Amino acid sequence: MEKRNSKSREVPLTALKAGESGIVKYVRFGHMRHGHMRHGHGRAWGFEKRLMDMGLTPGTRVTVVKSAPFLGPFEILVRGSRLALGRGIAQRIFVEVEQE
Amino acid sequence: MNKKKLLIALAGNANVGKSVIFNHLTGLHQHIGNWPGKTVERAEGTLHFKGYTIDIIDLPGIYSLSTYSLEELVSRKYIAVERPDIVINVVDASVLERNLFFTLQLMELETPMVIALNQMDMAKSKGIQIDVKKLEKLLGIPIMPTVAVKGVGIAKLLEKAIETVEKKPAKRHPQVTYGEEVEGKIGKLMEKMKNVHFVYPPRYVAIKLLEGDEEIEREIRRIDPQIVAAAKKLAAEIESIHGHDCSTVITSERYEAAGCIVRAAQKLVSPIKPTRGERLHNFTTHKVTGYLTLVVAMLLIFYSIFTFGDYTSGLLSDVLYGLEPFFAGAFGTGIVGALIWGGVMEGLIAGITIVLPYIIPFYLILYFLENSGYLSRIAFLMDNIMHRMGLHGKTFIPIMLGFGCNVPACLGCRIMETQRERLLAAFVVTLVPCAAVTVIILGLVGDFLGIHWALALYIVDLLIIFALGRLAFKVVPGEPTALIMEMHDYRWPHMKTILKQTWFMVADFIKVAFPLIILGSFILKLADVTGVLEIAASVFSPITVVWLGLPAVTGITLVFGVLRKELALVMLAALLAPTGLAILTPLQMVVFTLVAMFYIPCIATIAALWRDFGWKKALFITVFEIAFAILVGGIAFRLLTLVT
Repeated sequence: MEKRNSKSREVPLTALKAGESGIVKYVRFGHMRHGHMRHGHGRAWGFEKRLMDMGLTPGTRVTVVKSAPFLGPFEILVRGSRLALGRGIAQRIFVEVEQE
Repeated sequence: MNKKKLLIALAGNANVGKSVIFNHLTGLHQHIGNWPGKTVERAEGTLHFKGYTIDIIDLPGIYSLSTYSLEELVSRKYIAVERPDIVINVVDASVLERNLFFTLQLMELETPMVIALNQMDMAKSKGIQIDVKKLEKLLGIPIMPTVAVKGVGIAKLLEKAIETVEKKPAKRHPQVTYGEEVEGKIGKLMEKMKNVHFVYPPRYVAIKLLEGDEEIEREIRRIDPQIVAAAKKLAAEIESIHGHDCSTVITSERYEAAGCIVRAAQKLVSPIKPTRGERLHNFTTHKVTGYLTLVVAMLLIFYSIFTFGDYTSGLLSDVLYGLEPFFAGAFGTGIVGALIWGGVMEGLIAGITIVLPYIIPFYLILYFLENSGYLSRIAFLMDNIMHRMGLHGKTFIPIMLGFGCNVPACLGCRIMETQRERLLAAFVVTLVPCAAVTVIILGLVGDFLGIHWALALYIVDLLIIFALGRLAFKVVPGEPTALIMEMHDYRWPHMKTILKQTWFMVADFIKVAFPLIILGSFILKLADVTGVLEIAASVFSPITVVWLGLPAVTGITLVFGVLRKELALVMLAALLAPTGLAILTPLQMVVFTLVAMFYIPCIATIAALWRDFGWKKALFITVFEIAFAILVGGIAFRLLTLVT
């Protein structure tokens, strides 16, 4: 991984190493903003909403515990509970890494 | 109306001990079924207490009351429309913040409620201390601390619930106060809705409209589309102030409120050294030891289910087939006798000997894995591989079990979150070669052509499953699957709950599947004794003889294979006497096996599909697989003819 500088920076959750923490800034699901698109059963916003409901709201501190091998899901700690997040989802969560 | 009747609903996150409390309360007076038209499980029970007849309904375990999943929608509607006298909100004391997030939403539904603060023992072992009195005051809701797995606090919880109902609490709980902007918008919307009467409370509707909840929007649009338009405008304003969409803002603020309460009422006394559960978690999710544990666990499960199943099945089969002479004596060996024995009884025997010995241990183990927490670790480890098929990690369990028997595997698909995931998983599962198909593969191809041919067929099968799984994932509409899953702490499950869950699931399965199995068997036998089957075979002959290059009798045997797949082979051997199977060319053996592998889920599997997905989807899968098997068999026939 690249070198850590003293300034805080925004990276996808997947860039954190085991044991590192960050503060959730935003979740990016490109086409899902503003709710303009029509969708069959109206659940295109499901992931984002689900992440929020699980407590990954902006400003929340998350800690990466580990990731499963072969590009498997991430294990994170958030609000005192342990979550498993698929890599595709974790890539869309942007966090601010705390200064060293 | 008899006023001594009460309706209590249990609500809370998944894996907080809700079903344990449910089982303590209801004993054996329960009924497990599905919500009308949904694959969401519905558990109801009745108990008598202090002169009340109390109906208890166990709502599905959920994290929120939005419309992310069917479970959430069902729960929310139930509370708003059926208006239970009181909701018991089961809360996991060891993960208080997330649980209170749900509690706050229940409060917004303005339903009378009490809280069961469960797993107090787990909280304690994690060094968490909760000031119950303070929490009670902050929430304005009566709280009873419980340790459900040990039965602690359950009777008092029920007393508290009844007490609360009798007291007729003030209609409104104190609720979350959102930030100034959000509150302002809620007020404006409520003002606009002054004359609108709706099942949900006005404040709740206003909040949900701002969150962009589609179900509520649809309903309100029917009453007054201008309200929805106004809500959209207000939501956009919040969005421009905060830079996040309105739903995110509201969820954040709600979590913030939950966090505030937790910080005031909960103390972390020295985070003591990693608990045993945590060490176990690290071991079972480790990149080396985790997979080793998984392999060992799977082998053990597979082995124990099938040794037990095989042994019991043989035993039951001996006993039940021992009845044949009595039936022959009573009904003769003519058409009537054949129909009664060969149709009804053999169907029943097939059900008893194939299904029960396998699904009972299967359910026990499945519930054990789920309730203890290991299931979520398996999903964590296997997610990546399953993901390539568009399924997520949990699908691994039903697929693995499918190699034994497709029936429990199909039923096991209920562990998936969404209807779509369940259907996709069930589809893939029905393609997995079960033990009976393995008998065909090994008994025909393995015996006559050698084990490498059998293995090759297995590999072809797996590749096709993989390809079809991907294809189905592309074709069936819906969002891509992705893992967002809580891994709750390990705990030793409550055995009585597991036993009861198994018992009620099996009873339900018998009720739904057995009539289908017996009916199917009867129709087959009827077709057989009336000669319709012979005619069918000649009707099939363009397919079997011309397209697949097989002897005409295979048509009949494949039809019988529907009952139990290995019959296809057993009957074929009988019909080809005196030479037996050896008369088939190697090519015919391969083609026959391929067709048998794919052509149809057996009747018990169809019944399982029917039970969980309705007859339309069951029929679709069946027809698709027949067509697919014929297609694959024909192609293989032509390709292999070219090669050899």
